[in-house]
Amino acid sequence: MGAIAWETDMKAALAKAQAAKKPVFADFFNPG
Amino acid sequence: MDAVTYPQQAVQEFLADSMVPVRIPFDSPLSQEFRVTWLPMLITLDWNGAEHYRTVGFMAPDELVPSLMLGCAKAYCDCGLIDKAFAKLGKLLSTWPESDAAPEAMFFRGVCSYKSTHDPATLKEAFEQLTEQYPHSQWTKRAYPYRLL
Repeated sequence: MGAIAWETDMKAALAKAQAAKKPVFADFFNPG
Repeated sequence: MDAVTYPQQAVQEFLADSMVPVRIPFDSPLSQEFRVTWLPMLITLDWNGAEHYRTVGFMAPDELVPSLMLGCAKAYCDCGLIDKAFAKLGKLLSTWPESDAAPEAMFFRGVCSYKSTHDPATLKEAFEQLTEQYPHSQWTKRAYPYRLL
């Protein structure tokens, strides 16, 4: 298992989630 | 989170199997839309973008995975996918019974049962299970009225 395959765009994440009927995990973070 | 939690295999496997992970910088306009006031803010959305669960602050791997399971279960239940919600709650309670999310999952399993059966006995059963397994949890206190059903 590699690193987490983060999406960086909410619209893209929702499109992927809609297709897979999976919930979205949104991490609001400080990129430093 | 980057140094401790996200590198863990259990976290990576859960996210790959069960969710679509997205990272949003705090200075994004989405932070205002989602009322993000402190970091890290971790939010579970359904595939239509509706929020179902959020936590704030650092979470260790053995707390993040069950917390995400609970978020998924809430999203599934609210979207009418009761079987999927029960599956996530059952896995959480059998795999992570000592986690902070477990008592809430037990409470919520009773709520899901009631929503799907309209049988008040399911809520009373949830209270009895909470009393036995998590007697000092806030979720046992919240289920207290169900003892009368």
